[in-house]
Amino acid sequence: MTSDRREAPGQTPDNATAAARARDFFSVPAPVKRIFDRFPLVTYPPNDLPYCSWSNRQGNRLFVFTDAAGARHGRPSFNPQCLKWQAYLRFAGIDFDIIPSSNHASPTGALPFLLPALPVGNNAPIPSNKLQKWAIEQVHCEEEQQLNTRFEVYASLLDHRIRNAWLYTLYVDAENFDAVARRLYVDPSTTNPAVRAALALQLQQAARAELLKTSSFIDAAALEAEAGEAFEALSTLLGDNLHFFDRPNPGLFDASVFAYTHLILDEKMGWKRNRLGQLLRRHENLLQHRERLLNLF
Amino acid sequence: MVLKLHVWGPAFSLPSIDAQCLATIAYLSLTLPKDAWVLVASSDPSVSPTNELPALRNGNTWVSHFRNIVDYLRQYSSGDWDLDADLTGLDRADSIAFTSFLDTQFPPLLALSLYVTSQNYYSSVLPAYSSQILSWPSTWLIPPQHRAAAKRASDHLGLSSLDLVALEEDRKREHSAAVAAGRLPASLPLLKATTPATTSGLVPSHRFRMEAVTAAAFEPLAAMLPAHKQYLLGGDRPTSVDCLLLGYGCLAALGAEHLQEAWLGEAMRQKAPRVVEWVRDRQTAWLANDALPWRPTERPHWRTVGNTIWNTVAEATPVWRDYRVNTRMREVALAQEAELSPEERSALAKHATSYKKDVWLSVAVVVGGVAALVGYMAKVGFLSSTAWEEEYVDEEEEGEEEVVRPEIPEALNATDFLGSLSFS
Repeated sequence: MTSDRREAPGQTPDNATAAARARDFFSVPAPVKRIFDRFPLVTYPPNDLPYCSWSNRQGNRLFVFTDAAGARHGRPSFNPQCLKWQAYLRFAGIDFDIIPSSNHASPTGALPFLLPALPVGNNAPIPSNKLQKWAIEQVHCEEEQQLNTRFEVYASLLDHRIRNAWLYTLYVDAENFDAVARRLYVDPSTTNPAVRAALALQLQQAARAELLKTSSFIDAAALEAEAGEAFEALSTLLGDNLHFFDRPNPGLFDASVFAYTHLILDEKMGWKRNRLGQLLRRHENLLQHRERLLNLF
Repeated sequence: MVLKLHVWGPAFSLPSIDAQCLATIAYLSLTLPKDAWVLVASSDPSVSPTNELPALRNGNTWVSHFRNIVDYLRQYSSGDWDLDADLTGLDRADSIAFTSFLDTQFPPLLALSLYVTSQNYYSSVLPAYSSQILSWPSTWLIPPQHRAAAKRASDHLGLSSLDLVALEEDRKREHSAAVAAGRLPASLPLLKATTPATTSGLVPSHRFRMEAVTAAAFEPLAAMLPAHKQYLLGGDRPTSVDCLLLGYGCLAALGAEHLQEAWLGEAMRQKAPRVVEWVRDRQTAWLANDALPWRPTERPHWRTVGNTIWNTVAEATPVWRDYRVNTRMREVALAQEAELSPEERSALAKHATSYKKDVWLSVAVVVGGVAALVGYMAKVGFLSSTAWEEEYVDEEEEGEEEVVRPEIPEALNATDFLGSLSFS
C-alpha cells in the first residue's frame, strides 16, 4: 500500500481525505436521500370534469367566475378574462349559458372555457385561446386582427399595462384584496379558514410573481402612471367613434376594453381604493363606450 | 454639470449588451449636445440607488429605466431635450402603444435567444460577459443571475427546450427517479441523448410555437414600419420609440457571425426584412462606438465586489429574497414625494409592513418544518449513529472509484504511522 503511494506522489493521503470530505459535505445526506428514495414523485392523471346539476343543460355552456344569481341572469363576470370572452360571444350573437366555476375545474387551469352544444372533434372543451376561432366558425364574423394593423399593438396596452395595474390594484393592495378579491375569489370556494388563508396567500403570491417578471421590484406609482397613459392612448384611438376601429358592431377589441373599464367603474365591486377609476374618469368617451356596451347585457 | 450615464458594458460590437441601455444611449446621442454627457460602462447596478441599469446621474440625482430617463431629460432641460415634443393626437397614442408593444414582446424573445438557448449563452454571451464586461468575481455571479431572470421572464412562452443543458439534467434526474422507484433496473445505463443538437431539430410542437411567438412580435412590427415610412411614427424626425426599437432590434437581429444559434435573427429577417435593414442603418448612425463619449470605468472597489457577493447570496436565499423585495417596495413608497398622495403612501407602507409579517410567518414555518423533520428522523431511527456509519459505507461502495480513501488504522498513533511509512 505504501509502495503504491510512493509511485503516485500526487495522490498523497491528505489530498484524498480532503476530496472525500468535500464530496461528503456536498452530497445529499444519506438519511435524507433514503427518505426521498422511498417516496418517488408520481403525477396523477387529470380529474374529469365535475358532475353537477349544470351538466344536463343542453346549449353552449361557458364556464366563468361568477355567482349563482349572476349566472341565472347572465350578468357580467367579475373576472376581466372571463368577461372579455363573455362579452365577445354576446356581441357576436351566440347563445350560451353562464356557469359558475373555478380554475380547478378547467382543463387548462384557467377560466373561461366553453362546452359547445354541438361538440367539435373529440368532444373536448374549448379553452379561451381557441374561443375566437370557434366563434368565427359558428357565426362567420370577421377576424378583427386581420382588418387593422393597430389591433395587436393596442391590444398590448390591455394585456400588459392595464392588466399589471389591475393585478396590483386587486391583489397586491391589501385593502382592496380584503374587500374585493377575498370576497369574490376566496370565500366562495370553501368555508375552512385554513384553506381560505392558504388560497389567499397563493393568489397574492401569484400576482406578485407576475409583476416581478417584468421589473426588479413592484413600483405602484409606475404601474398606475403606465395605466393612465394606456387609457389616454385608448381614448385617442376611440375618438368620436361608437366602437373601436370605427366598426358598426362591437367586436373583440371592444370586449377587451369593456372587460376592464366595466369592472373598474362597477359600484358593486366595492373598491376601497380605486386609483384606476380616477384615471379612467378623465376620458369621457371611454365612459360612454362602457355605458353603451353595458346596455347589451 | 455633465450628465453621467451608467450602462452594461459593450458586446457583439454594440455599445451595450442590454436593450434598454442601447435605447438610452441612442436617445442621449440624438438629443444631447456632445459635451453635455459621458458614458460609463460600469456594468454594476449597485452604483445606482434603484439597483437598475441604465442609470443617469446628475449630481446627487439618479434616474433609471429608459422611460424615466426620457421624462427626466425633458423636465431638466425644460423641454429642449425632448424628441417627443411635437407629438399630438393619434401620434402620441401610437407612441404609447408602440412602446408598450415593444416592451412586452421583445424582452422574453431576447431572453430566450441570448440566455435560455444554451449554445448562445455558453459560447457567446458568457464569454462576452467575462472578457469585456465584468471583472472577477462578478463574472461568476452576475451572468447566472441574468440567466435565471431570463428563464422566469420567458417561462410563459413554453420554449424552455431551448436550454439543452437543463433538458439533459432533467433526463438524468428522471432516470435516477425511475431507478429509485424500481421501474428501471439500476444496471440499465442512461440512453444516449435524443435531444437535438440544434434548434432546427427541435420538438415539432416547439417549432410551431417558436414560429407563432416570433410571428406575434415581428408581423405587427413589419406592419408598423412599411417601406414608405422613415420612422415608426411617420414623421421626418426620430422619436423615443425609434430609439427603443433600435435598442431591441439590434440585439434581436444579431446574426450567425455573433451567435451560434441565430434563430431569432433568422425569424426577424424572414418576417420583417425591412425592420432588419432599418436597424442596421440606424445602428451605424446612432450607436457608432467611436462617436460615443466613453469614459473609462474605475477599478472595482473592494466594497462593490463585497456588495455584489452579498446581493447574490441574498437573492439566492428564499425567505431573505422576499424580505428584500418587500423592503425595497417600502422604500419606494416612503421615498416618492411628488407622485403619491399622503393616503396612498401610507396605504402602501402599511401593506409593506403587513407583508413583513408574512415573511416572519414563513421563517417560522420553515424553522418548524425542519425541526419536525429532524424530530421525526430521530424518532424513527434514521439519525442514530449506527445508521450514519452504515450509510457512509454504502455510499462509498456505490461511489465512483476515482476518490482514493486511505485506510486509517483503528488506533492511530503518530509513531506507528511514521514507522509504517519509513520501514515498509
